[in-house]
Amino acid sequence: MNENNENKVVIEFKNVTKRYKLYKSDKQRLFAVFSKSVKYKEKLAVNDVSFQIRRGESVAFLGKNGAGKSTILKMMTEVAFPTSGEIMIDGRVSALLELSSGFDMEMTGRDNIYLKGQLYGLKNSEIAELEDTIVDFAELDEYIDQPVRTYSSGMRARLGFAVSINIRPEILIVDEALSVGDKEFRKKCRQKVNEIIEKDNVTLVFVTHSIGMAKEFCKRGIVMKKGKLVYDSDIDDAIKYYDPPKPKK
Amino acid sequence: METIRTIVSEHVEWRSQIFKLAKADIIKTYSGAALGWAWALVKPTIMIFVFWFAFTYGLRHGGDIDGYPFVLWMIPGFIAWSSYMSDMLTQGAGCIRKYKFLVTKMKFPVSTIPSFISISKFSIHLCLMVLVVMIFIVTGHYPDVYWLQLPFYMLCMIAFFTAWGLFSSLLSAMSVDFLNLIKSVTQALFWLSGIMWDVNKINSPTVQFIMHFNPITYIATGYRNCFIYKVWFWEQGERFAMFLIVYIVMVILALWAYKKLIKEIPDVL
Ligand SMILES: Nc1ncnc2c1ncn2[C@@H]1O[C@H](COP(=O)(O)OP(=O)(O)O)[C@@H](O)[C@H]1O
Ligand SMILES: [Mg+2]
Repeated sequence: MNENNENKVVIEFKNVTKRYKLYKSDKQRLFAVFSKSVKYKEKLAVNDVSFQIRRGESVAFLGKNGAGKSTILKMMTEVAFPTSGEIMIDGRVSALLELSSGFDMEMTGRDNIYLKGQLYGLKNSEIAELEDTIVDFAELDEYIDQPVRTYSSGMRARLGFAVSINIRPEILIVDEALSVGDKEFRKKCRQKVNEIIEKDNVTLVFVTHSIGMAKEFCKRGIVMKKGKLVYDSDIDDAIKYYDPPKPKK
Repeated sequence: METIRTIVSEHVEWRSQIFKLAKADIIKTYSGAALGWAWALVKPTIMIFVFWFAFTYGLRHGGDIDGYPFVLWMIPGFIAWSSYMSDMLTQGAGCIRKYKFLVTKMKFPVSTIPSFISISKFSIHLCLMVLVVMIFIVTGHYPDVYWLQLPFYMLCMIAFFTAWGLFSSLLSAMSVDFLNLIKSVTQALFWLSGIMWDVNKINSPTVQFIMHFNPITYIATGYRNCFIYKVWFWEQGERFAMFLIVYIVMVILALWAYKKLIKEIPDVL
């Protein structure tokens, strides 16, 4: 077995900085397209962050609200672009970014499965093979043929997870998507995630509020604070750093 | 230019997905309506009937234009407007917002969104044009060689409005105000562009000259060149040159907007 290839770097951030432009109003933003003199404020969301993630790793990003976790995951998915720095991604990304992740609300769950599959470059015959697995996994029963707009947020999250996880990703990116699911569903997800990490050497990048879940899913933890990467180690140490055990009274 | 190469290669790479999304867009447009697919035909038919009624018994006292009853004269330009051009003006401008999930939730080439919307609208337009051809045949106006230039005008129309779609949808994504502006201008354009009246009959040469810079006028008149006026497009080289100038300006604007805004769009939506 080629050890080098097994552990090759699939995600690399080099001095990545992301600034969001904030305009006073919608009109100001329109004027700014045509004129440089329109004033805006800047929000530094990610500040000079560098790290590498190797194939088969499972990494949790920890940090308070607004620390820049979602922004990092969006840049990995290539739906947000860094203001400066370099990002390298090697592999097919399947992302579940925040809730409701990327469904056409007017289309049925089943049609959305096909649409997603097609957008990931799968053939219809390949999707048809995965269809039953996904429908079963999502536990939507007859709702699978109803428009997604009629789903509860939990149902959307289940469908999102079922699609992302079963669509044969090489890199799986999950942002807070499991917070709405119930315990049983979470357990099922964990088993499936562990299965694809072990069997297919999938790389997992995970953001969650819940420390318990980070521990369940990941072996490595990265702690973010105000846009900076402040700690990067195995998950237990990262959790200790992020949420130190309270001294006894 | 670099931007052109990016856009072209995105279209080539994602071509099969583009057609699938166009198909899904058509199905979505009509599956929600109670009458489903029939709605695509019923809506313009009702409109034509209303105009026929208003102009035959009301406003116009039933005069003919170039030997054609007014309704028949109106139909080709009106269908081009109502089933494609007006939709592309407003829905083209709104398409990135409508397909937000493609932009903010997965890696997807944004430049192809106006293109699949354009394909979707044009497919409906083609169905209606079959109906238009049938109406002309039924009323005794048989196809002749002039009808053969219809694809030329269709091509002009698609080319212009797809470029417009890219430009306007990028700006609309940045600002809802822009989208609202487009929506309110569209109705005015319907009356200004000679959809319901004959621009060739304008007395002032200056006004007529200016009118032909309007691509909507060029295309509506072009459709009538095939069915009514029996003129070849090369006989109106000057008008084509004017259309081409406006088209090139539109393409440059679209490329400029794309280059400037493409990386900002996902942050704003
Ligand atoms: N699209 C956006 N436009 C402007 N500011 C944003 C945008 N997205 C995030 N931010 C800001 O960037 C910072 C980091 O946000 P985010 O990456 O969502 O943090 P987290 O996911 O860790 O809570 C926050 O202060 C947030 O307000
Ligand atoms: Mg977040």
